[in-house]
Amino acid sequence: MSVSNVTATSINRSERITLLRFIGLYSFLVLMILILGSTIYFKLQKDLMLQTKRLELEEYSKELIDGLKLLHIYFDRYRTYPRNSLYRSAIYDADHVQIFSTLKHPEGVKLDKVIYTTDGVIQYIHVLDSYYLGTKYTVVEIDDDGKWFQDTWRNILLYGGVLLFIFMAAGVVLMRLFLSPMREAIHLLDRFIKDTTHELNTPVSAILSNIEMIDPKSLDPKTAKKIRRIEIGARTISTIYQDLTYLVLDHQILSENRQIDLSSLLKERIEYFRILSESKKLTFETDIQPEVKLYIDQNKMARLIDNLLSNAIKYNRRGGTIYVTLRPGEMVVKDTGIGMDEKETKEVFERYKRFENGVGGFGIGLSIVAMIANEYNLDVEIRSKKGHGSEVFVRWGV
Amino acid sequence: MGRLTVTILLITIPLFSADVNIYERNCVKCHEKLPVSLDKFFFNYLLKYSSERQVKQALRKYLKHPKRKSSLATEEIILRYGLMPKSTLSDAELREAIEIYWEKYKVFGKIE
Ligand code: HEC
Repeated sequence: MSVSNVTATSINRSERITLLRFIGLYSFLVLMILILGSTIYFKLQKDLMLQTKRLELEEYSKELIDGLKLLHIYFDRYRTYPRNSLYRSAIYDADHVQIFSTLKHPEGVKLDKVIYTTDGVIQYIHVLDSYYLGTKYTVVEIDDDGKWFQDTWRNILLYGGVLLFIFMAAGVVLMRLFLSPMREAIHLLDRFIKDTTHELNTPVSAILSNIEMIDPKSLDPKTAKKIRRIEIGARTISTIYQDLTYLVLDHQILSENRQIDLSSLLKERIEYFRILSESKKLTFETDIQPEVKLYIDQNKMARLIDNLLSNAIKYNRRGGTIYVTLRPGEMVVKDTGIGMDEKETKEVFERYKRFENGVGGFGIGLSIVAMIANEYNLDVEIRSKKGHGSEVFVRWGV
Repeated sequence: MGRLTVTILLITIPLFSADVNIYERNCVKCHEKLPVSLDKFFFNYLLKYSSERQVKQALRKYLKHPKRKSSLATEEIILRYGLMPKSTLSDAELREAIEIYWEKYKVFGKIE
């Protein structure tokens, strides 16, 4: 993978997250607007349909009332309710008591309304001036064929879909427009970090390898001490360099997982850090069981160990001790440093789980630990006591 | 007119056996002499007052205090027969008579 490609993907990832969040919020708002619009449209369509049907129903209603009038006059002789196959009807008195009904859905009748749909039928209410047979309200009912309903829904889906598409497209364009200055800044920064990281490698390696070539016996003690300090400095820079490389490059490159000898790796890393610990007069107490194996990428495991050790050095007190224990399934790094109280520990751990950087007292190192542990399903536990030091457990299934 | 009614009432009451109800005894007896039948009056009330409750209420009010203004009968009838005299029945009797009257002519259950 070329460097520029890596740059592009890392930018795209963070950008994608922002984009997704924005799109999420934006689509929510767009949907709300569309739903509101659809509701209004639906209501209008329904009213329009009812207005059209109303004319027809008013005709039926008049016919019914004429029939009722005749029935009222000749009731002593003739008692057949005026029926028509085109509609069904019912009559109610002033106290809303049903006098007679041929309705399909008499339970849905709303005498205080004029026209409405209920249960697949349209009902029209007319209030009479003369109460033939005591009838104050006539209800005329016809079947609602549902065609307007289907048409309306089809239109809502069709135009709604098109509008949604247009809105979304506009959203993406707008977003890119607003984002582009930020994007450029991030690109620049990213490029700079990557180039610098790369260029750091050569000088740091040069310093370290040249120091190794110096025979300390050939130097007078004062110079030897100075050279040692230079070595400490160079190694510190080197670990920082490794972390940086891991953060900006490594973790995106495929892992080379294999069964590694964790015991020797751990010993090797302790040896590497021993020289760094000397400046603080720290001692290492190790209890490393030999031949402990773990299936992992060697480089990444080294990063994890380095970060634990480097924290243990950084936050230890002068003349303190670093205990390192290794058993199959468990690795423990313990310091005798400043430690943290319960609240701080909890906070650090919460943040650790969220991969946040800049954790108080633990820096970026713990984020790297978290990323690697997460990738390999390693369980990390932090125990700490203010003034006594912290203890980090890394566990895995064996 | 008033005296005639009273006389008829006095004569007729003892003649009726118990199974003839207050409506037949009182209302029908007097109305038989009118050209407009009681059912026509009933349908006029229905036309104006619609529901059972309101019809009964209006009837009660009219029978207790017949007034020209609240009458539904035509000018002609009133000119010829005068306003219906204030009912001599007690409240309970009046209620019962109206109940029978309503049951007799109501349209509920009669429409086919
Ligand atoms: C003494 C005779 C008499 C008796 C008893 C009588 N009516 Fe009448 N009624 C009349 C006359 C006369 C009219 C017509 C003039 C009028 O409408 O007021 C009339 C009118 C009516 C009307 C029409 C009212 C209107 O709005 O004009 C109704 C209804 C009626 N009677 C019901 C009854 C009932 C019910 C009873 C029994 C409780 C009854 N009447 C007893 C004489 C009588």
